[in-house]
Order: sequence, then structure tokens, then C-alpha cells
Amino acid sequence: MNSPNFTRRTFLGQAGLSLGSAALTSLASGASPTGLSHLAAKAKRVIFLCMAGGPSHLETFDYKPKLDELNGKPMPESFTKGQPIAQLQGQALKVQGHLTKFPRHGKSGQLISDYLPHTAKIADDIAIVRSMVTEQINHDPAHTFMNTGTAISGRPSMGSWVTYGLGSETEELPGFVVLTSVGGRNPQPIASRQWSAGMLPSRFQGVEFNSSGDPVHYVSNPKGVSTKQQAALVDAIRKLDQKRNAHVANPEIATRIAAYEMAFRMQASVPELMDISDEPQHVLDAYGAQPGDGSYASNCLLARRLAERGTRFIHLYHRGWDHHGDLQKYMNICCGLTDKPTAALINDLKARGMLEDTLVIWGGEFGRTPMFQGKGGAGRDHHIKGFSMWMAGGGVQGGTTYGETDELGYHAVNNVVHVRDLHATMLHLLGIDSTRFSFPFQGLDLRLTGVEPAKVIKGVLA
Amino acid sequence: MEAAFGDDSRLRFILRRFTPFRKTHPLSERAFRCEVWPIMKRRSLYILLLLSGVALAEVGADAPLDFNRDVRPILSDKCFFCHGPDSHERKADLRLDTAEGALEDLGGYAAIAPGKPEDSEFMLRIRDEEDPMPPEKSHKELNQEEIAILERWIAEGAEYSEPWAYVRPKKREVPKVKDTAWSENWIDRFVLARLESEGLQPAPDADPVTLIRRLHFDLTGLPPTPEERDAFVSRERNLDEIVNALLESPHFGERLAMYWLDLVRYADTVGYHGDQDHNISPYRDWVIAALNTNLPFDQFTREQLAGDLLPNSTTAQKVASGYNSLLQTTHEGGLQLKEYDAIYAADRVRNVSAVWMGATVGCAQCHDHKYDPYTIKDHYAMAAFFADIADRDFTGNTLPAQRPPEIRIFTPEQEAELALLDRELKKRLKPDAQAQLSKLEGRRQKLASDIKKAQDKKKAELKSKLSEADQEIAEIAPKPTLKAFRKLRKQRADLEKLGRLTMITVAQEPRKMRVLPRGNWQDDSGEIVLPAVPRFLGELKPGNGERATRLDLPNWLTDVENGAGGLTARVFANRFWYLYFGTGISRSLSDFGGQGEPPANLELLDELAVSFTDSGWDLKALVRLIVTSRAYRQSSTASPELFERDPHNQLVARQSRFRLPAELIRDNALAISGLLVRESGGTSAKPYQPTGYYRHLNFPKRIYKPHANDNQWRRGLYVHWQRMFLHPMLKAMDAPSREECTAERPRSNTPNAALVLLNDPTFLEAARVFAVRILLEGGDSLDSRLDFAYHLVLSRPPDAEERSVLISLLKTTQSEYAKNSAAADALLKNGLAPTPPELDKVELASWAAVSRALLNLNETVTRN
Repeated sequence: MNSPNFTRRTFLGQAGLSLGSAALTSLASGASPTGLSHLAAKAKRVIFLCMAGGPSHLETFDYKPKLDELNGKPMPESFTKGQPIAQLQGQALKVQGHLTKFPRHGKSGQLISDYLPHTAKIADDIAIVRSMVTEQINHDPAHTFMNTGTAISGRPSMGSWVTYGLGSETEELPGFVVLTSVGGRNPQPIASRQWSAGMLPSRFQGVEFNSSGDPVHYVSNPKGVSTKQQAALVDAIRKLDQKRNAHVANPEIATRIAAYEMAFRMQASVPELMDISDEPQHVLDAYGAQPGDGSYASNCLLARRLAERGTRFIHLYHRGWDHHGDLQKYMNICCGLTDKPTAALINDLKARGMLEDTLVIWGGEFGRTPMFQGKGGAGRDHHIKGFSMWMAGGGVQGGTTYGETDELGYHAVNNVVHVRDLHATMLHLLGIDSTRFSFPFQGLDLRLTGVEPAKVIKGVLA
Repeated sequence: MEAAFGDDSRLRFILRRFTPFRKTHPLSERAFRCEVWPIMKRRSLYILLLLSGVALAEVGADAPLDFNRDVRPILSDKCFFCHGPDSHERKADLRLDTAEGALEDLGGYAAIAPGKPEDSEFMLRIRDEEDPMPPEKSHKELNQEEIAILERWIAEGAEYSEPWAYVRPKKREVPKVKDTAWSENWIDRFVLARLESEGLQPAPDADPVTLIRRLHFDLTGLPPTPEERDAFVSRERNLDEIVNALLESPHFGERLAMYWLDLVRYADTVGYHGDQDHNISPYRDWVIAALNTNLPFDQFTREQLAGDLLPNSTTAQKVASGYNSLLQTTHEGGLQLKEYDAIYAADRVRNVSAVWMGATVGCAQCHDHKYDPYTIKDHYAMAAFFADIADRDFTGNTLPAQRPPEIRIFTPEQEAELALLDRELKKRLKPDAQAQLSKLEGRRQKLASDIKKAQDKKKAELKSKLSEADQEIAEIAPKPTLKAFRKLRKQRADLEKLGRLTMITVAQEPRKMRVLPRGNWQDDSGEIVLPAVPRFLGELKPGNGERATRLDLPNWLTDVENGAGGLTARVFANRFWYLYFGTGISRSLSDFGGQGEPPANLELLDELAVSFTDSGWDLKALVRLIVTSRAYRQSSTASPELFERDPHNQLVARQSRFRLPAELIRDNALAISGLLVRESGGTSAKPYQPTGYYRHLNFPKRIYKPHANDNQWRRGLYVHWQRMFLHPMLKAMDAPSREECTAERPRSNTPNAALVLLNDPTFLEAARVFAVRILLEGGDSLDSRLDFAYHLVLSRPPDAEERSVLISLLKTTQSEYAKNSAAADALLKNGLAPTPPELDKVELASWAAVSRALLNLNETVTRN
């Protein structure tokens, strides 16, 4: 009902129904407001695995022999002149060779580094994009850019866009859930702006599930209040609101009653979701998850549980990837925490027949420089002109490598993929034409993909 | 139902023709849903059709189209992107936003031939069957109704008129009305004239209880006490007296400040990356004080944008200039200073234009504006007003982050004490002697430290110099005097440290400002610009070819004769209408441009704007005028037909009802329980918050410590505003993060908000303390207690059904607690406020369930 092109006629049509609890419940939970069906959808949901801090493409998916050749030598100025630069401002720039090897993996023979032995085993399931570019070189605006398509605060996050466009398939859980993980290097700050609904209706805002304390804020009964008492309370509120409604005839009250009903249901459904102790041991082992540890591994498992229950967009953060120094040490730590669970998630989805309609995306807000930075041991600075991400699942051609950077992994030069192209592709796979998916705001038809042309990355589609 | 409509397009035409506005608004669906009756019967549809038909006969057929109201929105939305102000984007060198462009001879023909749609290339292209305009790739489409309007407009002569917002508001004649009894002041005549022309009647007055609650929430943000309610209901005090008292209440400034702080994006933290605290709360207190003392709005504007540039600026004016530091800033390592210069400049232009001009000049950061005549040069010329602000002098990841210049602000008591200490110090030593002493002490200190480092040979010499200095110090005053002086001086220094730091603006040499092509901060090829106002709105004449200053901007914004004063006044008259009617006269609260919705009643808006400026920008006079109108007093209930016909209340045939803003939901609960601490101003308050909520903050890591003193129960307006992680309660109730200007908050109704009201410790504690009040002050019977509770929460008694629901809740809860008194105990332990030990725990905990129910009612959180 929230279509920007909402006509009075649709309203009349719906209002002709008795607005009973069912219709209102779907309002409260965010059922599809736009009824979008531009294209045939290949994927029904998205799991976005965000490696916050910016993982090095040169230690994961982008092998450049020349980089090793020039190791320790000055970085040719032809690459860097006039380019934006973060912490290396004003310093002598020298080339840092790869810190590991890049064997070929799978039938497809994809180049994947030794830091990612488990990802290597799903090489044939993933499409690697080695030619990503973004526009923001500092973490916070770069996340905002990756998530909303602009660095200006206050725009809807992609999870909100998708939930707004397609609605949610659950009435007991939010349609857009954010999970953040503990462990790794000094963690990146991450703002709740990253899952904001911006100017879209608030019910499309991402809900963060916490790994400690209440999984959702205030979802537990207060101390000293039993579920029976809480039910009696919610029931009394409903009766009193309904009674008032008979007097003032305010449909907002009916919406509110539905919201209380869902809140009460969430008080049971969220703890049930979060309790992974009912998973068989072999599943826990595959992920390396331990109930309640708040780890990336547990979150990958939760992502699958959310996907099963109908959540539309699951945004999972691991915040340890800002490796200005000690790259080797921290790649070992961060890959150690994320590589196996990521692969386990793909395998688990596949085993359950869910990978075919779940789009999984892996990547950070940017990549890292081919140049050496030396905070502690060798490291790399922020880099936005070329980096890698991968996609898998619904509608994606596994075993593909798409695009390339120049010989030193600096500039994306072939089949360049801008963040908005990634967004357009994601929407395309969900059956949405990004150019026709907009929301009126301050006189603009606002789009996730913005005003510049965005293209679907055909080369990764199945 | 379908059959009843017959020709569907015809019906849509009729329906849409008589909705005040054609375009849907981001918030429209929600507002629509909120305000339309749930059950639409066929009967009402027939009535609707009937009503529409009548209106069609009256307005539709006879009155000529109004360009700004009827035509411009269509052209703007469908055509201007390619045929509008942006010269770079313009296709076929054709512009349709000016008569000149549209009528231009294109070699024997013109896009638009006035009076002759059939000869207008414009219409031919629109009607082209093969490839109609707008082109497919624009994803824009004209529907039949819009085409009909455009055609009719050309047939009627294709008159253009200036965009309404940029024509100076003019004094309007107060219209004549048929019903001469209804109006209370001239606002009502404008409202009523419109209603009469639509064949509508105003709603009856709201009942006194609703009205007194409405006034209290609107003007102070707090509920009336039972005594205040009784005084009005019994007519002991009349409306004027009550309004005057509320306008003089210290809570008036707090209530209005909540709105202002949303506009100017006030927050306690920097917003980017580490989201560290920054020093700014005295600015918030300045806003409250300025609103309470009714500082004229032009001066209010001037002091914020350029308080530092006013001659002999006072401390308060310097604090006000903290406005320029309210933007989001970053302290992230590896930031590129030049990039952030550009980011901050654009941020300031977005804010100043949105707040004062209702304009989206920010859209011209990369290119000329697509819909309004703002050029990219206008954008950077506006940014140049702020080029004298120091943005590069800041600390890294410290807590708080500091962005000098900052000054210390003292409470009046501290000021008095400082003055007293100064007098005492002066008694001990005259100012000359004080200066001499500190000079000598400085010398002595240096010598002492040199001696430590010096070699033996040198040491002796230094030592003799040291004793010389000591000798000179001794000559200034006798030892006891010196000792007393130093003690006082130490006291003063300690007191000084208690002052609250606040960021201010101090003008420095302006940095060079260039147009950044495509907004690219690395591109130095753009022309250098000087401070200037958007060209199509006029020109500043600083005189002698001098550079315009930051002070010239607010002067221009509030200059009715030669500046944008009329525009500013309209923007704010509209927003004040929104504050007291729940919707603007133009529903676009920060976009008065071509893509915004034109005002539903331009005459009324103009007259309000003119009266605002004529009064010398008297804010309280404007508020008084609005809230003492008969229109304001109307009931919010109305027929389904009216809700259907005017879902956004643009005709003002009723009042609006809406959920209270986040802060007020908190204030209301605290006031009802009696916990509310009414102290004004000060550092921000930290209420209970879920443990670990700040775990994603870093640089440095943050541990949130809720206040364990009176600060715990302060008004929502004072709650620590962490941009990246706004308090979950505020967030669930739609308070903005204040990263950008917010002129209108959404009003959502979500399960998360329900969880807050049900389970947030602040509301649990308020419920518990409220229950204590019920038991101690509400008499002994169930009935008297429920009466007491209802009067506190809703200013009315409960009826029999409400009593029975609550008694049943009480009994159910009580029977459980009787079996498990430990649970009752656990509930009562929530929060810091003490519980009187003499009360029976089971009874109290059971009543807490009743008070929780009452605090959760829709009626409790609704301004009606």
C-alpha cells in the first residue's frame, strides 16, 4: 500500500475489505508495498557478508605477478599521480608484493589466495568480480556509499530498499536484519545509519540482532513479569485501544494494535530464532559456531535460519579488516574467523536447496593499496580504484571471474563495476529494474542506483 | 464496486481533480492510512461522487487553470529534467520552464503556441503515437488527465507565472465569509472562505479536555496537571489566559527547541566514523533561552549564522555561532583535508538553504539544479559565505573531540562566584601587581627548570637569578598576602575548569572557494567564486567592491525589502502551521521549489508571512495567533467523506491527530509518574539504555554510563544525542539522527515502538512510580484509584468498560504475584527511584501492570 504511485482506487479497493487483523498485520510487518514484478526474479532474498574495514583484494582474489616483481620498489607515479589517498598522504610510495600464493581452484580454476582455503573449495559456486570501484576513501562514508549509493547521510540502505520493494515473507520477524560479529582486529565502528530506512517508511529499517543481552532491544519480558502477565497486559491494551477506536474511528489505532500483536509474537519468535542449540552438532561444526558466542560463524548460521524463516535481507558484518599494518597477522586472524563459516553457509544453503534463490554477496567497502604501508608489519592503505567482491546463489554463474585491474592491481581497467552496477545487478536478480524503482523525495525520484546510468553485470549472470 | 464507477478513467479524473494535490508525497500513504476511516461503505462512495460532481461544476469547468497550482507541477516533474534550468542536461536546446523558451520561434513554429494547442509542437510531441514525450528512457509518463490539463492551459493562453515561492508575499485582503459568527481572528476568515467555496463547514470545537491537552502538548510538550485541566474546564481561566501562561512557561522554549534542533541537526556527537562526543550543549541552551525570551527571528537567525561578527558580540552571541559547527564532522585517520573542506561546505549549503529558504540548493553541488533556477555557481557562492570558518584545527580520536575555537560557559552561579573571586583577588593584589606577579612567576618557573638541566658552572648563575626573582616577588606583597592570593587564584582556576566548553565561530582569512565541476574536490579547474546569494534571487551589495561576509547572509535571509525575507517568513509560517495542525499549508516543508507542493491556501500563507515580518519577526505573536484561532480549536473527528476528500487536512475543516514526538512520549510518562526533573539546560542526560548498545563505536571504545542522579529523569530534549546510535527509544519513535536537516519527522507505528513502551526500563520505572502515586494519592477504593490514574494520564475519568478491563488486568496480575512475591519484588527493583517500603509489594506490582497499560494506550501518546 505504500506505492509512490498509490492511487485512490487502490485504496478504495483495499478499504472495501474489512481491515481485520490479517491485513493490518501485514502492514505492520512490511508486506510488499509496491508489488514489484518488473522481471522474473532469480533470487528471493539477499545475504550480504560485509567485511568491514576493506579486505585486501591483493591477498584474496586479485593475483598480479608484476606486483611481486616490483616488491619494495617505488610505486610508478603514473599510477598514483592525482589520485585520492588516505593515510599514505605525503609519504614515499613503494610497491608491496603479495603476501601469499594464489593457486587455481575448482573445475573453473579460479585464482583464490591461500588465506581462503575454504572459499577455495566453493570456487565453482562463486562469481568473483575483480574490477570494483567506489567513490569514498574513508570507512564511514564508504560504507554509506556501498549501502545507500551516496555518501550523503539519510538515504535508505539497500536492505530497506529491497524490503520496501518486495516486502517480507515473515510476520514474526523483521524483513531486514543486521548481524554484527565479534572477533578480529580492533573493530571498525559501524553506524546504525548503515541500516537506516532513510525516507522510506520506518518499518523497512534494518533491525539489528544483538549477540549479547536482548537479541532485539526490549524483546524480553521485564524482570518479574511472566509471559502470562505480559499477555494479559497486551490484551488489556488492545481492548482499551479498540474501545477508544469505536469512539474516534482512527485507523492508526488498528495498525497499532497489530504492531503490539507482532511485538508480542517477536518476544517468542526472536529468542527461538537466536537459540542455535537446536542445530545438529555436525551443522554447528561445519560453521564452527558455538551457541551465544556472537561470532561471525554463529551469525552465518543465524543468517541461514533467518533466510529459512522468510527474512528478506540479512546484512552481516565482520569488522576486522582495516589492515594498515601487520597484514599477514590480521589476514590470518580475520580469514581464520570468516573463511570457513562463509563456505559453510554456501554449502548449507546448497544442501537445503536454498542457494538457488538466495543471493549471497561478499566484500568490503573498498580494497587496499598495492603500496606498502608500515603501521607495524607490512600493511596496505585504503583503496577505491579497484578491488574485489564475489557473488553466489540465485541467478549467479558460479565459477566465473569478471573484470580486471591493471598490472599492479591499482585501477580497475576492464569491465569496471561501480557500486551502483552492483546494486543494479542485485536488484535485477531480485526481479527489480533499478531504473524503475524509485521513491519521490524532495522533488527527485530517488533510486538506490542514483542518477548516473547503472548497468547490470551480465557477465556474472547464469 | 467496480461497476459503480463506470468509466474508470473518468472517475479517476473526477477524484483527482478535487483532491487538493495531485502528487503523492513520501509520507502521504501513511498519513492517508492514519486518517481515513477504516471501513468504507459503498454508500460513502456515492456521496463522494456526488460531492465531486458538485465541485466540478463550480471550479473545474469555469475557473481558468492556475499555472503554479495546476500546470507547473506537471511540467516540473515530467519535462524539466531535460527541458529545464540545467543547461548541461538540456535537450534540443529547448527549455520549458520559462515562457521565453517555450514560446521561442523555432523557425516558423514554436513549442507552445498560446491559444493554439493544435499548432504547438509541444502537444504534437506529447501526442505522438510512435515516440511520445516524455521519452521512454526517462521513465516518466503523462497520463490522459495531465495531457488534458496541459492542452487546456495552452488553449487558455499558456500563461506562465513566476514560481509562487519566489514572488514576495503580499498583504492580502481578509476575505468575506457567509458565516460571520465562527471566526475568532483573521486566520479563520481565510480558512472559512476556502471551506465555504468548497461547500464545507468547519468541525465543531473540540471538547475542553481535548483542547487543553492539545495546547499543553503543543506549547510546552507536557500534559496539563489535573488542576490546570479543571481550571479550564470550569472556565475559571479562559483560553487567552492559558495560552499566555503557556507562552511564558520555561517549557515553551524547550518544546519549540526540539523542532529547531531537528532543523539545524544539533547532536552531541560528530557523526562520522568514531562518532566522538563534541562540545556543543551550550548552543542548545542558547536556543531554548532565545525562544523563551522571544528573540526576534531575524536576530535569532543572525546570531546563529554570524553571532561572532556582530559588533561587540556578547558571549551568548558567540555561543549561538556554534550553529556553524553543528554539521557532521570526521576525526578519522587518513582523511583528506581538502576532501572534507568540500564535504563540509556542501553540508552547510544544504542546511542553510533547507532551514531558511525551504530550498534544495544542495542539489546544485554537481550540476545546475534540475528543477529550480539554482546554478552550480550559486551553490559554491553560497558555500563561500562559510569559507572563513576554521575546519582544519581539530583533534584526532579523542573523547570528546575538540574543534577549536571553543569557549567555556558558566552557570549564573559560577559567573557570580568567579566575579566574587576576582574581587577578592583584586583586594589582595591590584591588577598591575597581579600581572607583574604572574610574569615573575613565569620567569621563576623557567629558571627552576633550567637549573635542573644546567651544568654546575651555569647552575650557580641561574640560582642567583632565581633568588633575584624571589626577591622581586617578595617585594610585591608580604608573604601571607601572597599565600592568600595564590590560594584564591587556585580556587578560581579550579572553578574555571567546571565551565562547559562549546564550539564557536571566529572568522579567519577566508579560504579560496572554487566551483567544483561534477562536485569533484580534486578538480581545480573551476572558477573562483566570492560569497553571493543565488543569482535569480537578487544580489548583495556589500559596497566598495568589498567581499560579502557571513553576516551579510542572515541579513539577506531576513531582509523583506531587498532580500529573501519574504521567502524565509513563508517557510516558517508554513512550518508553524505544521507544528499546530500536523501538516503544512504547503505539505513540502523544505522544498518550496518546483517539485514541492504549492500551498493549499496561498493567501493564508502569505498573510501569515506578512504578519510575521510586520510584527518584527515576533515568534510568540505568530504562535499565539495560530493557537487562538477557531480553526485550531476544531475537533479532529470528522465524517468519513471529509477524510476521504481531504486526507491530508489541507482544507482545515478539522484538526489533526497524531502520535506525540519521541521526546514527548518520554516527558509525558515522566510527568505522569512525577519523576520528571524540570531543570532547564545543562550537559546532556543519559537515561537507561540497553547494555552494549555502543559496542560498535570505536576510536575510542565507549562505555555508556546511565546517569545515577536527577539527570536520569530529565526531558527527552536533553537526552544525549549520539548520531550513530541514537537512544533506541528515541529511534523507535522516529526521532532523527540529525545528520541532515529534518523538517518533518515520520510518524510510524512499529512493533519496535511497542516493545519500547512495554519494556524499556524508563517506562517500567515510570509505571512503578506512577503506581506508587496511585496507591498513596488515589484513595482506597478501586474506583477512586482508577479515577485518579485516568485523570493524570488522560485528563478524564474512565467509563465502566475501561474500569472493568483494568480491574480484570489487576486481578489477573495480582493472583500471579500472590503466588510468587519474588517476581513482584523483581519488577519493583527496576530503576533507581526508591519505592516506599510501607507499600505492599504484591499490590504495588499489580498496580504497576495497570499503570503500564495506561502508559501504553494510543490515547496517551496521541496529540488530539
